[in-house]
Amino acid sequence: MEYLHSDIADHTQQREKLQHFHVLAVDDSLIERKLLERLLRESSCKVTCVDSGDKALEYLGLLDSQEIDRSTASSFCPQSSTQEGLKTVNLIMTDYSMPGMSGYDLLKRVKGSSRKDIPVVVMSSENVPSRISMCMEEGAEEFLLKPVQLSDLKKQLQPHLLKLPVHPKIDMTTSNDNGNGSMIIDITMNNNQNVVVSKRKTMTPEPLERRPQMKGLAVI
Amino acid sequence: MDSVVQLQKQLVDYIASLFHEGFLDEQFNQLQQLQDESNPDFVVEVVSLFFEDSERLLNELAKALEQKTIDFRKVDAHVHQFKGSSSSIGAHRVQKVCIAFRNYCEEQNVEGCLKCLQQVKHEYSLVRNKLETLFQLEKQIIAAGGSLPAT
Repeated sequence: MEYLHSDIADHTQQREKLQHFHVLAVDDSLIERKLLERLLRESSCKVTCVDSGDKALEYLGLLDSQEIDRSTASSFCPQSSTQEGLKTVNLIMTDYSMPGMSGYDLLKRVKGSSRKDIPVVVMSSENVPSRISMCMEEGAEEFLLKPVQLSDLKKQLQPHLLKLPVHPKIDMTTSNDNGNGSMIIDITMNNNQNVVVSKRKTMTPEPLERRPQMKGLAVI
Repeated sequence: MDSVVQLQKQLVDYIASLFHEGFLDEQFNQLQQLQDESNPDFVVEVVSLFFEDSERLLNELAKALEQKTIDFRKVDAHVHQFKGSSSSIGAHRVQKVCIAFRNYCEEQNVEGCLKCLQQVKHEYSLVRNKLETLFQLEKQIIAAGGSLPAT
């Protein structure tokens, strides 16, 4: 485990991490799509926007026709992975009220599919408690009220940041403490395999400790 | 340059008055914060989309309410869209009228709906004028070599 000594390194690596975080945004309104795309890019995510639930399913490879093609292919080549050709999506953000397939319908389809592990956030301009609980019960990760603000989004994305695997480009070196006190970020894994991040400020130089690196540990 | 400083003050005061009079709300601030060197025209772009979309919706609403038998679900769908887009850019007074409009749709109240259509047209044209004035001021400042005041 490495100690990171500067907030700048922390921030840069956070941004790098999120550049590999791909969000599929679904909304029938052009204005909403433009706003959401800007918010997500401001949060350093990769964004793909579609204007309907059907287009979202198509993008995810979940249209019936696509699933049939894949199962046909795999019956010819049993070794081929059903994941081949599927685009990586780390998060789906969908509007609730859309003509045709609603955000709720889309949520149900995704959660009942092979891509059910992709978290789905539902957004709505209407604060309807029954609607919210319906979506949460169907497996939505969160229900956001519109208009979505940058602070809401950043709060949403924070935990996902910690779960992403270590990217090979991330630099694990530390810098020498300059004696003025610095921020140390402790990243530990507790017994439940949960990543626990804590920050502490030091006022005096601390000796760098070397601890064995843990595999699969998300490092900021 | 005196004139740039004057223009900048004019702009700040103008924006403040728009907030004070309820034409714009906090969401407009959010839009301004998303404008930066990499996205220098973000606000104008979003607001332009809003103008286009609003014209379309107002036409659809007028048509829908002219029908012999009014399809209130259709009317409501358009108002819902208008409410959403106005809320997204912070056009507060337009949004408020849309809320009342939707209530009349639910009640299937023709007169109420027609009244709201007039009101929403009025509020929309007001905020459109205000925003166009705002953008004009910004253009003048930039043309005079100044920069836009930070939000």
